Amino acid sequence: MSATPRVQAASGGHGDPVRDSALGLVPDILDQYIPLSRKVWQEGPLNPAQLEMVRLRNARKVNCVFCRNARYDIAKEAGLSEAMIQQIDDNYQHSDLSRREKLLLAFTDQYLDAPTAMSESLKAELVAEFSTEELVHLSLALLLFNTFSRCAVALGGMPDELPLMEVSLPK
Amino acid sequence: MAWLNNAATRDEVLANLPNYQAGFNALYATLWQLKEIPAQTLELCRLRIAQLHRCELEWQREELAIPPAQREALQNWPTSALFNEAQQACLAFTEIYTMDPQAISDEQADAVKKAYGEAGLVALIEALGLFYGLTRLTQLWGLTSTCEGVSS
Repeated sequence: MSATPRVQAASGGHGDPVRDSALGLVPDILDQYIPLSRKVWQEGPLNPAQLEMVRLRNARKVNCVFCRNARYDIAKEAGLSEAMIQQIDDNYQHSDLSRREKLLLAFTDQYLDAPTAMSESLKAELVAEFSTEELVHLSLALLLFNTFSRCAVALGGMPDELPLMEVSLPK
Repeated sequence: MAWLNNAATRDEVLANLPNYQAGFNALYATLWQLKEIPAQTLELCRLRIAQLHRCELEWQREELAIPPAQREALQNWPTSALFNEAQQACLAFTEIYTMDPQAISDEQADAVKKAYGEAGLVALIEALGLFYGLTRLTQLWGLTSTCEGVSS
């Protein structure tokens, strides 16, 4: 992974870490992405704590250090604790997480690892536990999380480690 | 047919959440009107991702027309004379991005920047993310039985 950023940040002045980053070089995309992202986080049907678990599972598997160490304030407000986050590792199936939370992570892993190979039993469990609207919400959220974590990796300049950072939704 | 709601198309799946569908469609439509990188180049990259995923549905999808000869030659783009230097740089970047974004070299990124500048590289990376994700959702949702699939 390149330790040097491949693109300079945008000129800044927006007071928003996303718009002032390299992503700000293509404002037309951000103008559509940011309101969609806010809607995905804020307008259910899955709550921000559930979405944050999916985002962090994706971040760990993509190895995006920025994403891995960010913590959305709205997820914390929705009840997600650091103790729960620590359980989103490769042994999550044996953790204290709920059945519903484990299924969210299983769906995430399937998207990341083998999207054509979802077992009939996992499909049945997902359909039994979640509404169609929840599964589509989960899919769209994961698509956005994965897109922007891979984006951060591809742009280079990723440090090996970062402290935990509480972040808010971009504006 | 998608297992989660018997949908046959991406639009039918997304229609379950109409308040998101409009925003998502607007984001996706923006990709094809960017000034930072030509839409035709993005379509070649999208199709290459479909090929790499062996996803027939996404391969058959046509976001905009490209010359049939170029489509036919896409799998052999490194040795084909049908692709210009800028397109080749983007296709090389697309392939490694699809396999592992951590493996992208500075030289591959520089080749894209030489063609389209820094903003062009950012636009390409963002577009690739959506193409990659949509291809995987097509497979995950089971929209076609001909998506044979690859692992990441």
